[in-house]
Amino acid sequence: MGKKLGKALVVGAGISGIRSALDLAEIGYGVTLIDREPHMGGILSQLDHQFPSNHCGMCKMLPLVKRDQSAQFCLRKGLFHENIDILLNTEVLDLSGEPGSFSVTLREKPTWVDPDRCVGCGACEAVCPVEVADMFNQGLSSHKAIYLPIPHTIPNPYVIDLAACNHCGACEEVCPTQAIQLSLEKRKAFRILVVDDELIVRDSLKEWLQDENFDVETAESGSMAMEKLSQHPFDLMLTDIKMPGMDGVELLQKAKEIFPALDVLMMTAFATVETAVDAMKIGAKDYLMKPFDPEKMIADVVQIYEDSQAGAPRTLEVGAVVLSGGTAYFDPAENKNIYDYQSNPNVITTLEMERLLSGTGPTHGQLIRPHDGKPITKIAWIQCVGSRDIQCDADFCSTVCCMIAIKEALLVKAKREQPVETALFYMDMRMFAKSFQRYRDDAEMAQGVRFQRARVHSIMTEAHSANPVIRYVTTDGTVENETFDLVVLAVGQRPAAGTPDLSQLLEIPMNPWGFMDTIPFSPVATERTGIVAAGSYTGLKDISESVMYASAASLEASRVIHAGGGGLADETGSETAFPDVSRADPRVLVGICTCTDRYDPHLDADALRQILKRDPSVKDVIFLQPVCTASGWEEFTEAIASSQPNRILLGACHPYLFIHKLRELSRRVQLPAELMHVVDIMTPFFNPAAESAQPAPSAMDSVLSNLQMGISRLKHMDPLPLARSAVVRKALIVGGGIAGMHAALSIADHGYPVDLVEQTDQLGGNLRWLDQTIEAFPVGPFLDEVLQKVENHRLIDCHLQSRITTSFGEVGDFYTTLENTQGDAQTIQHGVTILATGGEEAPADDFGHGDHSAVLTQKELEIRLEQEDLDVGDIDTVVMIQCVGSRQEPRNYCSRVCCPTSLKQALRLKKDKPDMAIYILYRDMMTIGFAEQYFTAARKAGVIFIQYDLDNPPRVGTGSNSHAGLSVTTRDSILSRPIEIEADLLVLATGIVPQLPKPLAQAFGATIDVDGFFQEAESKWRPVDALKEGVFGCGIVLSPRSIQDSIASAGAAAQRALRILAHDKLAAGKIVSSVRHSLCSLCERCVDSCPYDARTLDSNTQKIVVNAAMCQGCGDCATACPNSAAVLHGFTDSQMFGMIDSAMDAAWSSAPTAAAGDN
Amino acid sequence: MTKTFKIEVSEKGLLKALRGFFNALLEQEDIHALLAPCQLPSQTMVMPTLITAGERVNQIDPLAPAFPMNSAKIASRLTRKSSGGKIAALMRPCEIRAFIELVKLKQGNTEDLLLIGIDCLGAFGNRDYQLWAGDNGDDASRQYAQEVLSGKKTGRDNTKLTQACQACEFPVSETADINIGLFGMDTDREILIQPLNDKGAHHLNAIDLPATEIPATRAKDIERRISEKISFRDQMFAQVGEQINSQKKLGAFLSSCVNCYNCRVACPVCYCRECVFVTDVFDHDPSQYLSWAQRGGAVKMPTDTMLYHITRLAHMSTACVGCGQCTNACPNDIPVMALFRTVAQRTQAAFDYQAGRNLTENPPLSEFKEEEFEEVVGIN
Repeated sequence: MGKKLGKALVVGAGISGIRSALDLAEIGYGVTLIDREPHMGGILSQLDHQFPSNHCGMCKMLPLVKRDQSAQFCLRKGLFHENIDILLNTEVLDLSGEPGSFSVTLREKPTWVDPDRCVGCGACEAVCPVEVADMFNQGLSSHKAIYLPIPHTIPNPYVIDLAACNHCGACEEVCPTQAIQLSLEKRKAFRILVVDDELIVRDSLKEWLQDENFDVETAESGSMAMEKLSQHPFDLMLTDIKMPGMDGVELLQKAKEIFPALDVLMMTAFATVETAVDAMKIGAKDYLMKPFDPEKMIADVVQIYEDSQAGAPRTLEVGAVVLSGGTAYFDPAENKNIYDYQSNPNVITTLEMERLLSGTGPTHGQLIRPHDGKPITKIAWIQCVGSRDIQCDADFCSTVCCMIAIKEALLVKAKREQPVETALFYMDMRMFAKSFQRYRDDAEMAQGVRFQRARVHSIMTEAHSANPVIRYVTTDGTVENETFDLVVLAVGQRPAAGTPDLSQLLEIPMNPWGFMDTIPFSPVATERTGIVAAGSYTGLKDISESVMYASAASLEASRVIHAGGGGLADETGSETAFPDVSRADPRVLVGICTCTDRYDPHLDADALRQILKRDPSVKDVIFLQPVCTASGWEEFTEAIASSQPNRILLGACHPYLFIHKLRELSRRVQLPAELMHVVDIMTPFFNPAAESAQPAPSAMDSVLSNLQMGISRLKHMDPLPLARSAVVRKALIVGGGIAGMHAALSIADHGYPVDLVEQTDQLGGNLRWLDQTIEAFPVGPFLDEVLQKVENHRLIDCHLQSRITTSFGEVGDFYTTLENTQGDAQTIQHGVTILATGGEEAPADDFGHGDHSAVLTQKELEIRLEQEDLDVGDIDTVVMIQCVGSRQEPRNYCSRVCCPTSLKQALRLKKDKPDMAIYILYRDMMTIGFAEQYFTAARKAGVIFIQYDLDNPPRVGTGSNSHAGLSVTTRDSILSRPIEIEADLLVLATGIVPQLPKPLAQAFGATIDVDGFFQEAESKWRPVDALKEGVFGCGIVLSPRSIQDSIASAGAAAQRALRILAHDKLAAGKIVSSVRHSLCSLCERCVDSCPYDARTLDSNTQKIVVNAAMCQGCGDCATACPNSAAVLHGFTDSQMFGMIDSAMDAAWSSAPTAAAGDN
Repeated sequence: MTKTFKIEVSEKGLLKALRGFFNALLEQEDIHALLAPCQLPSQTMVMPTLITAGERVNQIDPLAPAFPMNSAKIASRLTRKSSGGKIAALMRPCEIRAFIELVKLKQGNTEDLLLIGIDCLGAFGNRDYQLWAGDNGDDASRQYAQEVLSGKKTGRDNTKLTQACQACEFPVSETADINIGLFGMDTDREILIQPLNDKGAHHLNAIDLPATEIPATRAKDIERRISEKISFRDQMFAQVGEQINSQKKLGAFLSSCVNCYNCRVACPVCYCRECVFVTDVFDHDPSQYLSWAQRGGAVKMPTDTMLYHITRLAHMSTACVGCGQCTNACPNDIPVMALFRTVAQRTQAAFDYQAGRNLTENPPLSEFKEEEFEEVVGIN
């Protein structure tokens, strides 16, 4: 009962890992979330602004159901969830076992700073003498060797850059909490043997390593080394390979036989690298290249030392593993460095630009050049740096760079009041997803961003100004030179560091570019069942896709755990019933952690006790040994047990860290957790307010005020039983295409019944006419497999030729009426709704379609090809026109699949008939991600691509005889004149239109966007949710997408639905709003102001009612209500007034200037 | 242009003519009752009265300089739910504006209501009126109307219009269904009856009234009156603004407040069933008072007086129509209206809102506009 049976490991705590971890935790699994960095957030910790709002919105990912399991807290700062353990500085060492029951070994890297003890006071940073480039700011600024990895996390312990630290020990001395242990003394116990026949090598290595405090001995030959090894144990041996007598490899073999625990580093000249590599197979740890780079050598040795000091690797049993290791970025300084990156400081990357735009960045958000402070008035972005470039082995598009560049250009424009010239140099602008095209149009038309289609040749530097000069070729062949203040390189993706190792370890293949590969028709499953890959680990994705793929990945992981017997958490156990204390007078016990008497010099315990006890509700004030220790916590618990308070306040540090502990305490002392509260008393002691003209309250006053605020909050806290509403654990899915079917299977495989409604007489949707994918995977067999699974699934009930007539209800409890073609109606009760009504090819009413038999749409061509109803032999020339009716009002969006489809068909025709002339007339080729390779392949196969603009669209002439040839005229920008092509076949890419009738969407409370697609709650952070809880969308109804992307969205929608279905009752949060009916005047302001539709006027009872499960505790209603008839629990007027009053106390004691007590 | 009508005034005077009109209105089949200010039988006060039978029409008196309460609250009571009949309500412009605010707050309904406005001649404070009128209200009103309409100085014994009426720039209703025009008319001979919308026109067409044109003198007269009031108003804004521009000065302004809450009871737009200030929220623990006293050595009792007014300003200043009932109700002569209007002037301007201007504008605090107050919320 209430037991969490399944566990999962999520590798990588970037946005995708966080999403996966939250998904799995929300449906009840235990999750271990690891990251090799000392902080969470991945790349997003560096990005302050995100498309399309150009703000941040990460918090929108926080759980909505059972939200009290997670601290409702800025996700960029940290993640606190009951079911999620977070291990930072941690990597996967090993994995074994079967899907559903893997055994994973993890290694935590030592950090020298104990994160539990570090209070972030910064004293260490002040004394550290070493400056290092700050990678958080992409090297644009510097920090000390001991530093905060990112400025905004909570808790935010310092870390030490092990490679840069010179071990001066200054930080260790000043640390007030003894959190830092450089362990230099312990290094003396680490014995290193250096074996080389050359004296100079032996001596220099000895000297360098002794400087690092290691105990070093030397040996001049293999035999002498063996002798030394037998005399006294060593921890590490560095041995040369080429030595007279016993060579290094032989020494390695012998030494390892006798001392298997000994780590050995081979030292090798270039000539014997292969030998060194072979040596690693027989037990050498690594090899060092001669001549040595002492810094690298020392770093390697220190790393081995640190590894030896690290705690024993920990082993976890998990049902499934989610890989979300993110991505790395291209380094433009590599290869020929045509952009002068790093040699010219005014050439930076898009990531550096993000930092430049950030308030926590190197210029504190000012738009100036970081190296000389010159204001930036003219700035350029160069697209596709390290992408779409075969010369740097990147035959792929990095997907996100176009939008990043546009966003940065807009941010730059918004940042400065004076006009800033912004130019984007590009080959194709790829605005392939929802609302991207309009974002670009707005940037171009309204904001004046210049879009310059050009090939950039190189960047030169103006000698006197260091201004970069871009040399580029325009589409008509003109060569231009243009000077800018700053040039931003839109750097492309590269596989995350360590991917090959992990691929080898987990036995999962990589794709040709070194990214983790997934299997056909599955966007997240790898070849190894139970291990799924998400986010940018399989190729760069924007936030919404990362989030969607992450949810799809957690769904697949959950399926494996569930199938392996893991099951979902079952909450049939009742909530612990606590004695009712709401009518008793408050009796507060105040516990104050003394942190081993650290506060002694500042804290007057007697005075504190005396002042606090003036409040009659304070029963006692006790001072405790560190409550972060087991004994301190026990002492506190015992004190509670003996004094029987009905409110508990703890003054300590890092209140967020006590969330779990309080819940545990609550069970032990039989008091609801919301009657316990932790306030921070540490910060005032160690972060005294900055010097200012205003008199600042003393530390003691601040602590007092913090405690009194806590008391006020508790005193007026009225514990409420958790509102719960029953969940009908069934799903309704509308639409029987691939998205609907995949979602149905995903949910049914978890044991919940699904009603699948399809308006036609068969399932399958667009897959019924699709022949093969661009990768040449046949669609038919895949569809048959899915159909068979769906039709045979005992929990899926298919309703063909049926449509929805009405629906009402809300999350957990919907009633929907279906009607079939015979007019039979039935009403289904269900807990969640997924809309997967799809879309279809947009009709063609242009270019002679319908009048001329040789004009086909893409779909018609696909069908004709599949049915072999097209005589390819008769066709010598094919013209394909892209964006017919697309990417212009009223259908101003990219349909995403048409460019790859044209390539697919072109390649297929070329394969059948290589000398066929194929012309593709396009605006921007939208071959995102790895689809780019087919663009390359098509060009190699001789397909001719001709770009056109909306100002000069192609024209098609048809003869009077409808079977006569077609003539297509278009303007060729290279020739700068119109050309005419006689075509035997004209294929029109008309794009996709959605099929989501407004009444259907409205029946479920979903909304439709301007183009008729499903409007998601939040395009980035909640890409498959409707704003109304319990309603989801997937597949093409969201926006045009491929089979793979449809499946991903279906997995995500199913996952979001499961988080509701996994519970038999929906528990609201503790912080929900309610109504004091005796005060309510029914003005309905609260109903209007509620963003979650959680409030309604019940017309029968004439009362405002709140759906507690839908209420997210935002407090808008309480703000709108003038007389507090709308109440937000935990934030009642009495609490807030009391807290404000206590907060004023501190201000009062420092500046008692206001007139005495006038109020 | 919509047709306008007149009622002819005989030597029996304005009141008689008006009463005749209301009688005709009440005789219509689809008007079931009339809410109008009536002389009480004692002739010492004028009160909103709900009339269904003809004879009470003879006590209707919209000309008296008496304004004991804002009848928007009465109209709200009568229309919160269906009353089963249609009511015509004769109200001052400020009452109509307050009622429109209440409708927006779902405290009333215009569906079964015919709103009749009348050019407002202003009013005295309650005590002033009683002293001034003596015990023959009809005569007093007649004389008062004549003085005001002829542009003579009003009042005898130095009795003055309330500050609210002197500062009121809306003496003519623009939001009623029908308006009764007095300003700029030759009121010895005729009164203007002007439908302001289709609903008003519908009801007027049913009564047989002679048509008339609006004389050119009317607009001029109204403009003159308003400009006088605006200059008074702006002087008041300047003066009050100066009086309340610091916490200390505001404290002094409100220093005689005793938390009687009369102002909020009198306020037509304070619609809460029970004010938060009389709930447990402000029922502080005794220890709280001691702690406040300890903080600065003393605490003024009763507490929360300034907070009360600030809270009411926060809640209601965007809906304030400046009717002045708050000042009228204050036992300690705090010029509450002057404070409210001075603040409301700014809060309403901030949202480009005007209380009671029309029914379709949402109250500022009930809708969220992302582009609003960017400098405050820090967006962009």
